[in-house]
Amino acid sequence: MTDRRRINGPPSGTRPAVFAPSLKSASSISTGRPRRQRQPNELRKIFLKTGLIPSASGSAYLEFEPSASLAASRSSPQSLIPPSSALKLACTVHGPKPLPRSASFSPNLVLTTHIKYAPFAARQRKGHIRDASERDLGVHLETALRGVIVAERWPKSGLDITITILEAEDDRWWGDAPDSHDAPWGMMNVLAGCITAASAAIADARIDCLDLVAGGVAAIVSDEPAEGESSSPKLMLDTDPAEHKSILSACVVAYMPSRDEITEIWLKGDHSKASLGTDDKTLGHEALIDGAVNAARGAHTVLTEAVKESAERFAGLMLGGNTA
Amino acid sequence: MASTAPSLTLPPSQFARLQPHAYLLAHLSPPASSNQPSIRANGRAPAQFRVTSANTGSLTHTNGSAVVRVGDTTAVCGVRAEILPTDDIASWSVSHTSSRTTNKRQKLANSDSEEQQEEEDPNDKSHIQDLNLLVPNLSLSTGCAPGFIPGAPPSALAQSLSHQILNLLHSTRLVRAEDLRVWYQPPSLGGESLERHNAEEQMDVDDEGTGKEDDGEKAEVKAFWVLYIDVMIVSLAGNPFDAAWAAVLAALRDTKLPKASWDVDNEIVVCSDKVSEARKLALRGLPVASSFGVFEADAAAGWRAVIVPDAEEERLIEEGARKGIQRRWVLADPDGYEEGLSQERACVVVDKKQGKTVIVKMEKNGGWALDGQALKEVVEISARRWEEVKSILEQC
Amino acid sequence: MVGPTASLTPLARADGSASYHCPSTGSNILGSVNAPVELPGRRDALKPEDATVEVFVKTGTAPASVGERYVEGIIRGVVGRLILGRERGYARRGVVITLAIVGGESVGRADSHLTLLPALLHTALLALLSASVPLSMTFSATVLSVDASGKITREPSAEVAAAAKSIHVLAFTSKGHLLLNESEGAFDFDTWEKVRQRASAICHGTSTVGADGDIAMVEDADGQPLEGTIRETVEDQVHRDYAWKIDAA
Repeated sequence: MTDRRRINGPPSGTRPAVFAPSLKSASSISTGRPRRQRQPNELRKIFLKTGLIPSASGSAYLEFEPSASLAASRSSPQSLIPPSSALKLACTVHGPKPLPRSASFSPNLVLTTHIKYAPFAARQRKGHIRDASERDLGVHLETALRGVIVAERWPKSGLDITITILEAEDDRWWGDAPDSHDAPWGMMNVLAGCITAASAAIADARIDCLDLVAGGVAAIVSDEPAEGESSSPKLMLDTDPAEHKSILSACVVAYMPSRDEITEIWLKGDHSKASLGTDDKTLGHEALIDGAVNAARGAHTVLTEAVKESAERFAGLMLGGNTA
Repeated sequence: MASTAPSLTLPPSQFARLQPHAYLLAHLSPPASSNQPSIRANGRAPAQFRVTSANTGSLTHTNGSAVVRVGDTTAVCGVRAEILPTDDIASWSVSHTSSRTTNKRQKLANSDSEEQQEEEDPNDKSHIQDLNLLVPNLSLSTGCAPGFIPGAPPSALAQSLSHQILNLLHSTRLVRAEDLRVWYQPPSLGGESLERHNAEEQMDVDDEGTGKEDDGEKAEVKAFWVLYIDVMIVSLAGNPFDAAWAAVLAALRDTKLPKASWDVDNEIVVCSDKVSEARKLALRGLPVASSFGVFEADAAAGWRAVIVPDAEEERLIEEGARKGIQRRWVLADPDGYEEGLSQERACVVVDKKQGKTVIVKMEKNGGWALDGQALKEVVEISARRWEEVKSILEQC
Repeated sequence: MVGPTASLTPLARADGSASYHCPSTGSNILGSVNAPVELPGRRDALKPEDATVEVFVKTGTAPASVGERYVEGIIRGVVGRLILGRERGYARRGVVITLAIVGGESVGRADSHLTLLPALLHTALLALLSASVPLSMTFSATVLSVDASGKITREPSAEVAAAAKSIHVLAFTSKGHLLLNESEGAFDFDTWEKVRQRASAICHGTSTVGADGDIAMVEDADGQPLEGTIRETVEDQVHRDYAWKIDAA
């Protein structure tokens, strides 16, 4: 199965490096799990900048602040196995541009979303061709954005949104064996980041929107109890999956604060009473969605700043263009 | 119809789009009366490169990574190392049994004396090339510029850039095969603790084909590291090759391979996760790429003049016109706008060894303006650029 | 030195074609040209007043790889500059050049295609001439290798090329301009100057070498300049094609 349009590796394939600690039994290394240093409702900082890619009509670069363990391992490296990872992605918007001749008539702006992981983005090397999860993310992003863009303003036009993920979030801690609770939790963080970045890039391209849509993640997690704490499941915002033993359920939303509207919601995992073991209202799915919305509100403040910066840059450009 | 006569003055940005050739020409050859220097539309002097910055080691899941920005062109390169066990190589046992002794001797020699590091490794080229140990791929489908459809297979440009990177990695022999080998030294079974010198002598006997009993004592290559070098051009504003190559170079300089050893019981390669035991790649040299575009004053008119003057005639014309109007400009590091206006391209990759400039690759194509003297100047500019890039790469 | 052999129009159905065999590098190329042709479905991408040149290189025994895209780019750069794409009937049309490597040493994944390049370029040129595509000039190309001692070998075989320190492909127009240079491997500028002189002599014979008599002598031993070989191939073909007319006269 060689790809003739790319340079291929050895025909027999290669194996990822196996590190000595990962061969030990799971119990002996569980002490190494990074711990969440943030409050349950505290978000990671988001770095968001627009206009870094001038050839696109709009662009944004987004980066999550590395969690405490990753920051520590960066400043004083001990192990070659990174404890967790922090999302880094670049988003470009091309358009609105005329649809190709072959396309049928459309009275609205035709939105195309495309999300691709760089081969080196995740712990497992990704292929060059989009896999199911990447297509899935693209569909989710398209739903999130379609409700925001005023599409009827551009008939017969197309808008291409392309996101390249340079570094993805982990799905679980590397020391944990995959188990039944396992789901691609990292994907949900990635989607939230994609929504926020795409929203900034669309605004940077000066496409009319109802509001700036922001993405947020909340999850119900159950950790090993620390000293003097109960081990009951807790609701956390903006979870880094590597920091938790098991995530019971998680939710990502695309939320427009000024209209209090959700354009996309993705709930995953088991949040029934039975699995939680409590009748606690604060852990129901409504609480989960509220948590995600709160996380999105947090991202929205960053988004506003980035878009304001983009608008100032544009205004400066117009001014400069006229005086020159 | 003198109602609203359209204004005859256009803002510069409009003029640049409508008459790109005339726009750039007007910048490069300002009227003598205006006393303005000849300068490119982007404000650079002809031999001036764009502002370059590099940043390494910021991607978590890579063995080495770099982000290089050359003006508005951004390349991100991540190097991932994976294991290729020799058992998986179909032809390995057939073709390499005999060469193991040489390998060992090579290794001993290297560990014994530093100055022999530079010694030619006979298997270096063949191992890296035949086993595909370096796998560079460049992707332009990142939304970096309109016209590259995301999700489509790599365009002809992306494919040829990937090929150029691979070719340059091979022809400069940048990565040493020795760095990519994972050795296994079986424990000595016999009680007689042979000195290395003796062991080697013993092997010479083996070479003559007397016996294979000592097979267990030879160090053997159990696996190779394969370096997947992926370059994502995140933003494209002309001259992708220089940025991509600089990113590859910076990422390889940043690459650390973990200490790997062969686990006999599990028959797998196990790596130590200690940062202190990991080692950097020892690269050969620091080849730096510089690209150029040639802008011709009469390119648009050229097709009408079907009769092209002889090279000799042309030289005379040129010399005569030296004091007069310049007809050609060699533009270093062309941006996207200038690339669209120049047919002739040149790319020079230089390295410096003991202060001497060594050219490792020189290409020119698409025209006949660059010849002896002009190429020499281009090489000199590239040599100056080498110093610049070297200091940038050493700072990051 | 055995010179290359070529024949024009071996293929009946293409607008123009050529086959080319270079004994020293062992390369054997078959090329065809179709021009001017309508390029369907890509009207948006076509230049409004110029012909679009497309080049396809097909490998013989080796599997297809990205290397061909690179070679295609080089050939397109060379012939694209010579084809008078604005002549009547060429605007918004395509010139499609297909080159198949039918024999000789196959090029591996990582090998450079440089040793094959002159043969590919000559085939493309002859096929263009055979298809009567208007050109501003013709050209000739050669490949030279320099070994560690500085010895320059003309059109090296695969083994010589593998052992060489640097490999150079140069193409000169019929008017003596340096049209293409592809150099690979470590060398300095003085070496390149020597290579350029030698290549120029191979392509154009001694007259253009100028002062350096020594090199001129060597080149005489090399035999006929490539420029002349190509010219003769075309002249022979024209003689055959117009034999009826010449005989009648």
